[in-house]
Amino acid sequence: MRPENYEAQRQPPSNEFELNFGPNHPGIEGNYALKVKLHGDVVLEAQADGGYLHRGFEKLMEQRLWIQNIALVPRICVPDPSPMELCYSMAVEQLCGLHVPQRANWIRVMQLELSRIAAHLFTFGGHAATTGMYSTMYWGVADRDLVLDLFEEFTGGRVYSIYNIPGGVRRELPSGFLQRVSETLDYIESRLPDYDNLFFKNQVFVKRAKDVGVMTQEQALAWGVTGPNLRATGLAFDVRRDDPYLIYDQLEFEIPTEESGDAWARTLVRRHELMESIRIVRQVVEALPDIHGPIRAPIPNPLAWNVPAGETYTRVESSKGELCYYVVSDGGPKPYRVHVRGPSSMHAVQVLEKLSVGSRIEDIAQTMFSLDACPPEVDR
Amino acid sequence: MSSIKQIPVVEAKRTNPLARVFDDLVRFCRSRSLFILHYCTGCGAIELPPAMTSRFDMERLGIQPMVSPRQADILLITGYVSIKTLKRVILTYEQMGSPKYVIGICSCTVNGGMYWQSYATAKKLDEYMPVDLYIAGCMPRPEAVIEGLQQLMDRIHAGEANSWEDYYRNYDYYLGNQQKLFGEDWQTPTDVISEAKHYDLLSNGTLGDHTRLLEQHQKPLEALEMRLGHEQKEPAK
Repeated sequence: MRPENYEAQRQPPSNEFELNFGPNHPGIEGNYALKVKLHGDVVLEAQADGGYLHRGFEKLMEQRLWIQNIALVPRICVPDPSPMELCYSMAVEQLCGLHVPQRANWIRVMQLELSRIAAHLFTFGGHAATTGMYSTMYWGVADRDLVLDLFEEFTGGRVYSIYNIPGGVRRELPSGFLQRVSETLDYIESRLPDYDNLFFKNQVFVKRAKDVGVMTQEQALAWGVTGPNLRATGLAFDVRRDDPYLIYDQLEFEIPTEESGDAWARTLVRRHELMESIRIVRQVVEALPDIHGPIRAPIPNPLAWNVPAGETYTRVESSKGELCYYVVSDGGPKPYRVHVRGPSSMHAVQVLEKLSVGSRIEDIAQTMFSLDACPPEVDR
Repeated sequence: MSSIKQIPVVEAKRTNPLARVFDDLVRFCRSRSLFILHYCTGCGAIELPPAMTSRFDMERLGIQPMVSPRQADILLITGYVSIKTLKRVILTYEQMGSPKYVIGICSCTVNGGMYWQSYATAKKLDEYMPVDLYIAGCMPRPEAVIEGLQQLMDRIHAGEANSWEDYYRNYDYYLGNQQKLFGEDWQTPTDVISEAKHYDLLSNGTLGDHTRLLEQHQKPLEALEMRLGHEQKEPAK
């Protein structure tokens, strides 16, 4: 697979091997690779090898108008694109001092949480497939499609919605949409006991995932781990509660945590988060009919929009962890500098390298999927 | 070595009417059991799980994912290819056994799409390898992916999906573009020229300036010991 190093390596007479794990490998998430040193089946050393998905987003964004970047940012993280749009829009709003109407904020929360549900269902599927349980993958992907149908109805796009713009959201909800959201949520909730029996309580999964890729809370904090992976080590930190944005401070939800910090705990935290997300969307569905008003603040001509000079840093909680944007404007029609702090670049590079050591080779895929790393966001 | 050369290539023998019937049967069977090697080069890979699993169910058409390039028929390029990925894509493509088909999914494989001004991506896939079918869209829906695959099945049955022959016939062109991107010392472990001779597909475009450059820079690699035609080249030295 690798043109640079296919000179056959003369192996010392021992059990030590060096293998290239990926990029085109069924056990790896996306287009990503690891160089693994093995002793028998046990991993001695793992080295992340990214860059297969590098597109130079931060440079591309400097070459496009403020409004054009809205179409670009969701591509950074494919399974969970909505927080990307929102975080960028929030940064532009802060630079311009735009006041977003209340109704737009509620719609945004609904979009974010639906996106989280879809992303978590997809992750369960991927994680189950690495332990050989393909039924869960088939179920997870099919149930995620129901959420994508909702996205298609109210944003126009199945995967990339491009629905948030600086100042609000692009379209009003279709009539009868909230009813369909509740029906889909009811269906997904009714499926969760089946998922429990098939996957989360299944001994095949529990025995494979327990004590795999264990990290302590100190390690997690030192390595910059965020999101469900951090909460799986026992620390209840969530940007939605601890640094609330939009209208999260008006909603009731809990921060689920687990103590053990292994692959099993990380997946279980996501499963509980799915319930909390359903709870949040239900509250939005209940409250939204009583919130009237515009869905978008008036913005200047987007094709000749000079955002005032300044710099800002925004952060949101995506399904993978803490997502931040650092945006600098020099008062021109294009951003001067945009930096994306994605959660996966920590999880997939330094954390995966360290957690793989000492585990067996068949557990690398599971460790990666339980960390829910998103390779396009690592490379950007 | 010579025993490999004597394996008859079915399409080449068209004189016998019985062989023609047999060809048609072979093409029919070929189009009904396709194994996809999908290299998740980009965003488009996210629409493949829905297309393959319960809801849209590609398997009813006889199409299944396959993990090894050696056993796969279709190389599915799902989205933009960065230059680092393109090297692996070409290596994978050359490892696949003929007949092989390439499908480019998403606008990025057609003309660069969203990343037309990016410094890190290759813009047009068909400059580096022959492409049978493009499925445009950013990203195409699962229905579009399945529609595209059905069109490919029809074309395989009609005997029109022969882009893999194009790679051997115009190897010099493809190699030239690859060298332009990866540098002059670019080489792969597959000996494409010997394979072209083996398939009787050697034409004017196979050899040229770029293949001469390749032979100058080619390092003797242990992996190349096993390549086709290696023993024949030995006495010439």
